[in-house]
Amino acid sequence: MCGIAGIVRRHPTGVSVEALGKMAASIRHRGPDGYGFYVGQRVGFAHVRLSIVDIARGAQPLTNEDGQVVVTYNGEIYNHPELRRELEEKGHVFRTRCDTEVLVHGYEEWGVNLLDRLNGQFAFAIYDRNTETVFIARDRFGVRPLFYAQRRGAFYFGSEIKAILASGEVEASLDRRGLDETFTFWAPRPPRTAFAGIASLEPGTYGILKDGALWLRRYYELDYPEDGEEPVDVIEQLDEIMLRSVGIRMRADVPVGAYISGGLDSSITASLAASASPHALRSFSITFDDPRFDESGFQREVATDIGSIHAIAAITQGSISASFPDVLRHTETPLVRTAPVPMYHLAKLTRDSGIKVVLTGEGADELFLGYDLFKEVSVRRFCLRQPTSLGRQRLLDRLYPELMAQGRGGEFWRRFFLESGAPSDPLFSHLPRFLLSARAKEFYSPEFKSGLGEIDVLGELRASLPARYFGWSSLNQAAYLEMTTLLSPYLLSSQGDRMAMAHGVEGRFPFLDHRLFEFAAALPTGSRLRGLREKEILRRWASRILPPRVRERRKQPYRAPDAPSFFGPHAPDWVGDHLTSDALRRVGVFSPTSVDGLVRRCRAGLATGFRENQAIVGVLSTQLLHHQFIERVSSPPALPVRGASVMLSEATPAFT
Amino acid sequence: MQTSHSEIMTRVRGFVQENFLYMHSNFQLADDDRLLDKGVIDSMSIVEMISFIEREFGVSAMEEEISDANFGSLAGIARFVTEKQSALAA
Repeated sequence: MCGIAGIVRRHPTGVSVEALGKMAASIRHRGPDGYGFYVGQRVGFAHVRLSIVDIARGAQPLTNEDGQVVVTYNGEIYNHPELRRELEEKGHVFRTRCDTEVLVHGYEEWGVNLLDRLNGQFAFAIYDRNTETVFIARDRFGVRPLFYAQRRGAFYFGSEIKAILASGEVEASLDRRGLDETFTFWAPRPPRTAFAGIASLEPGTYGILKDGALWLRRYYELDYPEDGEEPVDVIEQLDEIMLRSVGIRMRADVPVGAYISGGLDSSITASLAASASPHALRSFSITFDDPRFDESGFQREVATDIGSIHAIAAITQGSISASFPDVLRHTETPLVRTAPVPMYHLAKLTRDSGIKVVLTGEGADELFLGYDLFKEVSVRRFCLRQPTSLGRQRLLDRLYPELMAQGRGGEFWRRFFLESGAPSDPLFSHLPRFLLSARAKEFYSPEFKSGLGEIDVLGELRASLPARYFGWSSLNQAAYLEMTTLLSPYLLSSQGDRMAMAHGVEGRFPFLDHRLFEFAAALPTGSRLRGLREKEILRRWASRILPPRVRERRKQPYRAPDAPSFFGPHAPDWVGDHLTSDALRRVGVFSPTSVDGLVRRCRAGLATGFRENQAIVGVLSTQLLHHQFIERVSSPPALPVRGASVMLSEATPAFT
Repeated sequence: MQTSHSEIMTRVRGFVQENFLYMHSNFQLADDDRLLDKGVIDSMSIVEMISFIEREFGVSAMEEEISDANFGSLAGIARFVTEKQSALAA
């Protein structure tokens, strides 16, 4: 896992190694083990390396034998040994054991169709000097990021937005629509980002850049060809795919560790990792001083069961506010929750413990309908078929026992769910969440609100849905929305790649193997959510590897303290500094009067609902983002050529 | 002690404005406006509202009384508090 960046000019006017050095320096945290450059008249690539496979010879950028194909790549191709064998049989000569080289020869052999053969998480750029084209691509589910911008005939790309800005050739300003999407979906919807004119390459998409024009095409589409019944050997099929998925993700020349949340999914991945690991597995988890968020008892139990050497990152409200500015520098997008912060500390603990690769359970809830939202949509539909039935409505109370315990049930609670959109609305499943999140917009300044004009982000999402969406069951529609609006743009990014890579840690996600996705998507939804029992088939299969108390446990949703983290005795000075009327007016997104009221209630400990918690995190993160990326831009000095492991140019095409 | 209907209405309105409408300076709220439909309260703020009337007016709401009829509008809340106080005084 690494970081990549580059500049592609329309005309051969040269790419400065100084600019590439600055771009590389801005994302050095992604690859602290080395760096390299390719510098040409039209194309320049930079690479920072986190060495995991073929540590001695895997430096990048990398070329083919005659230097006509150049690659800079971030990620892992898990099936690289199999692809390598296939390519060798076709006559390709490999000089490293690295998966990067599979991209070079695979591109030579199959062109862009190479993508259909890759099983992994990746983002890369390949410069084909024979055709003067640059080919960029991103993995199927958007695990690894790739951003780009086009300015004055030039194309800029990077693993993070800060790399593009560090070129010194792309200006930064916040994108109104990107912010409005954040305060609806929790993150901008790709290709949009929080920055105007800077795009995120959509998951499962590639681009060809030629003569200054970018041509984009999707190579992988999510589909849910639901079968009427389970295959007879369904458990055997799942067993084969799970073991293979974990097995290929254990391939590394460094020890692989695991995150443990205490729930079913990470217990599965950690347990399989422990079985496949040649060493005692190192495992890591988060604990909170606030017992409402803490699951440490279950985590220890899982660690004991699988025999891992376990370490814990203890999170306090003070540690959340203290590291929030750093976290924002890495997320590069406003947040509505502090949940990424503990993941930042977890990655630091992991790296400090000498581990730079971890398996985690991300993706299982989306594939196997694990989130409460999926139960919610079933119950809402069930209630609306007989709207006067109180018995049916009481099922809603059973969905969120944690909130019921706080006295938040009853008629008002039920009405919120039952009146959030009609079943005929294609966004029916997600409207309660979208509408609740959108309440943070009540704090917008009048100027920002009027600048949004007729922007309707929900309408745009409806219009973007593919025709096949309307042929899927309501649960599969919900799963698709979850995959496309939350998993990649938020969970895998702000809580995933960005927090782990802030400390040079690579997350690997066995549940996001495309074979597993396709297997799960073809199952009857009843195999995944049976009544109100989520991940049913996964639990059935997991009886082979996990004890019942772990397998059957109902995990609480992962959350971290929001508003209380920023007020009280541990509040750092920056909080007050960013909430003054002057600071708020300078950024212009939120109304100083409204934020005054919000701060008063936060200080009094009255901000206990979603609206105000999301709003205060949204306000602070937007202010910080503006401060760090627009008001006070500071880039580290360029990485010097003399320290580079690789320095390639058009004049030195030979393989190094 | 029995509080007058208009006094209850004034104090509840003040509480709503200070705590749920502070971000909407020009919001016009009529006595019979539906608080949930207008986006004034949500399922979370109802808990805060109940704590307020219990603290402010010395009445308590049973779970089955937390209904749209009793807490759905300013007028409904004032009526509920008045009836509860009357029952306590009787």
